[in-house]
Amino acid sequence: MNQEAKKITNNLYGRVNAPVVERCRVNFCTDLEKSVLMSNFERRGWNQVGPDDEWNFYWASTQTCRNLFSVESGYRMNDNQMINHFPNHYELSRKDLLVKNIKRYRKELEREGNPLAEKAEVALHGGQIVTRYVHLDFVPVTFVLPADYNMFVEEYRKSPQSTWIMKPCGKSQGTGIFLINKLSKLKKWSREAKTPFHPQLTKESYVISRYIDNPLLIGGKKFDLRLYVLVTSFRPLKAYLFQLGFCRFCTVKYDTSVTELDNMYVHLTNVSVQKHGGDYNNIHGGKMTVQNLKLYLEGTKGRAVTDKLFAAMQWLIVHSLKAVSSVMANDRHCFECYGYDIIIDNQLKPWLVEVNASPSLTSTTVNDRILKYKLIDNIISVVLPPDGVPDVRWNKLPNTEALGNFDLLIDEELLEKDEPSGSHSRGAKSKYK
Amino acid sequence: MDGVQEEAIHHTALKLADEIKHLSIYKSFYSDVQKLVSSPNVEKENFKQTLQQAMKEKGLDTKLRNTVFHWVRTQSKHCRLDPLTSLSKASAQWEKRIHKSLNSMCTDLETSLAKVRLQSEQDILTEKWSELSTYNLDLSKYRPVYAPKDFLEVLLTLSGYVPFTRDDEPKWEFAHLPLKVNKIDQLRKLFPEWSSGEPLLGVNPYMPSTVPGFSTLEAERISLGERVVALGYAPVVQEYLKKGSPQCLRAKLWSNVLGSDIKAPQVQYFNRLKKNVLEVDLMVDKLIFKDVQLTASNDDQYFVFEDLLYQVMLCFSRDVEVMQLLKGNIGNPPVVTIKGKQTSPESLTAFPPSGIIPFHGFTMYATPFCYLYDDPVQLYYTFRAFYVRYWHRLHYISTHPQGIVSLCLLYERLLEANEPLLWVHFRNININPIRVVFKWLMRAFSGHLPPDQLLLLWDAILGYDCLEILPLLALAILSFRKENIFQVNTLQNVDAVLADLSTISVIPLLQLALMKP
Repeated sequence: MNQEAKKITNNLYGRVNAPVVERCRVNFCTDLEKSVLMSNFERRGWNQVGPDDEWNFYWASTQTCRNLFSVESGYRMNDNQMINHFPNHYELSRKDLLVKNIKRYRKELEREGNPLAEKAEVALHGGQIVTRYVHLDFVPVTFVLPADYNMFVEEYRKSPQSTWIMKPCGKSQGTGIFLINKLSKLKKWSREAKTPFHPQLTKESYVISRYIDNPLLIGGKKFDLRLYVLVTSFRPLKAYLFQLGFCRFCTVKYDTSVTELDNMYVHLTNVSVQKHGGDYNNIHGGKMTVQNLKLYLEGTKGRAVTDKLFAAMQWLIVHSLKAVSSVMANDRHCFECYGYDIIIDNQLKPWLVEVNASPSLTSTTVNDRILKYKLIDNIISVVLPPDGVPDVRWNKLPNTEALGNFDLLIDEELLEKDEPSGSHSRGAKSKYK
Repeated sequence: MDGVQEEAIHHTALKLADEIKHLSIYKSFYSDVQKLVSSPNVEKENFKQTLQQAMKEKGLDTKLRNTVFHWVRTQSKHCRLDPLTSLSKASAQWEKRIHKSLNSMCTDLETSLAKVRLQSEQDILTEKWSELSTYNLDLSKYRPVYAPKDFLEVLLTLSGYVPFTRDDEPKWEFAHLPLKVNKIDQLRKLFPEWSSGEPLLGVNPYMPSTVPGFSTLEAERISLGERVVALGYAPVVQEYLKKGSPQCLRAKLWSNVLGSDIKAPQVQYFNRLKKNVLEVDLMVDKLIFKDVQLTASNDDQYFVFEDLLYQVMLCFSRDVEVMQLLKGNIGNPPVVTIKGKQTSPESLTAFPPSGIIPFHGFTMYATPFCYLYDDPVQLYYTFRAFYVRYWHRLHYISTHPQGIVSLCLLYERLLEANEPLLWVHFRNININPIRVVFKWLMRAFSGHLPPDQLLLLWDAILGYDCLEILPLLALAILSFRKENIFQVNTLQNVDAVLADLSTISVIPLLQLALMKP
């Protein structure tokens, strides 16, 4: 299709088919002048103001948000102000804290004798028998380095053949990541990191996780999933899953041989990594929609396993959120959209890789732009009360039309209310109780 | 009258009994029956009845019925003389042009149509067979032999051959061809499930079931579909497909209705095709690589399956059976010498052995199957069966009622009769309405509709065993977007209005087009 024609069509059909919302006097402020944001704000007839003005809706960077909430700033938000982050989102988005919170959550449930914390013995790839949580085993075994080094070595010895992946805690988009299959390589790394030439590395902590070396391959290639989850409250937990996620494919055929261990085009699906590969395609950007993934799995592997996989992904998201809900600063002015990165293994089991609190709003392709435009549009309509003006006194119960492409994942308040009568909302499932 | 009919049936039965002996399944089937005869289940006294019963229990009965079904389907359609000599003349000229263009491309690029592959090249190709996207070829100078646009130009000249024109008919190109096509009322009778508004898959995922015990229509269809799959009787499968298949059963249902199940001989045959690809370098291979690159590799719905498609499309070009199955429908491919081979009968090859020269977008006939089969062999046979039964009609000139010429004419007539205002609008802005939908028709909407919608459309093609659905859908889409079309007056802008079909729901639109207001 010719590009010009595509452009015109997108204007006609690609956009969310919504009439211009009646113009409310909403002042917005943004740290990010991305076109998917600006065009949404413009379509709603909002008025742009600076951070020091009277804003109602702030699309802020995480840093700005932390500053606003810090004691020193002394800023107090009024009832008609909303912001797109929770002040301590890092409890979920930092790799080390996420793992820490999930471990704590599981222990708490175990202590309560909750059946969710049931454990059982499972056989690893190499044949070793290990004990794992039956329902809450959705993050690969992970340790923080250097703090948990000894615990890591103990685990490592259980299955010395397995590969591990090292990631710096505070970085994103695939920077600083490498694979390890020998303890000596880790030792070498730690020695080098301590040399005076890399003083910054000594301060930085890393997580080391068991590498999912049996990923599901499609067309011989590895991929991961990017799903978008909107949280409007942590206590009670209210979360929504965006239907239009996508798969990000590696450009190179998957190969576990040792020689390819250092070839990050084989192992990392991040667009920021794959973009530099020679085979990166600008038209599709290595991205396939989640709907098409589902279609493929249903067609080739059947309905039951596909449904089970998608249910398991929802389960994983809900419990990762529950794991941090007690430590999150649940400010009424906040909402947040998380980018969940999930890898599916060849047994069709999903694994949570990481959660991003500022998922990229840069569009790499035409379809990407449409998707992200809809995402922002739907986020705004879910977090705002029906009259379109931010108001934290609102009960945060959006009606079905406002959900757009979001499905309700969980609303603890609704679950409580509806206990006897059953839920009236799309997607509310009591099994997450 | 009855006597004549009986005689005809008798004649067909004789022919069938004779021809079945030449079918590939005959040998194994015959030995299965022999084994059955010697089993204790079959009694000598009551031979016929007990044998029939035993065949039923063993599933041989269904196998035989399916064989007859597939055989009958291949019989009825061809063997008909082309009543329009003008069309066959045009078709022959077009074929000549294609061959000429291939030859001149060869000369320009200083290569030959067919040559033996060097051993070193064979080794690399063998090694990279499962990841041919990494096989390095310089294709910058290769161009598709023709594109849908070129083919349309040829079709549009067809009217020139027709000796008569009626004054009261507008001078639209296809209207002059003396071919008979259905009117909308006849289509309503042809597709009763749509015109009567029956509950169908693809309308609304949460549509409730009318059958007690099922919460949704989808659950009901899955349950029924599982029984249809277990039965495995092709005519029943065909009937089932009319109302749409759930994605989880589609792969089995499609291969069943097309008779494209694979057993050991099919795998062996596929491997022979592969061997031929590895040994012989045909110029058409480059065109195939180029086509996969230009289409599937750049498409966000299909790029993942690129490597699978190279294998399937390359093997397809080597498949002599395709040419045999389509004899009389696809012209005559030239026979060329394979350079570098010692002169022998084997050093000659039809170019290509399948007889099919790919055009720009040819790969799109195969891409949707990637959502059903991840094994190249399974994918291959279902794609091939689909091609042999339907797709070849979309890029060869014929007077067949399912051929592209009749489909274009049907589209024109439907548009004129059912959307007169649109028709007038197209005339006023001086655009031939076939131009804005032709690529949809020629590719059976593949690459234009999202895969889930496309698969529903192809369910219907299999279910009703006809391609008239394609022009009908084209009409329905135009009706649906007519308000936007009225606002534009250049071909480019009409194309733009129709470019993005990602929001189209096929089945509701087809229903809408056929249900009476």
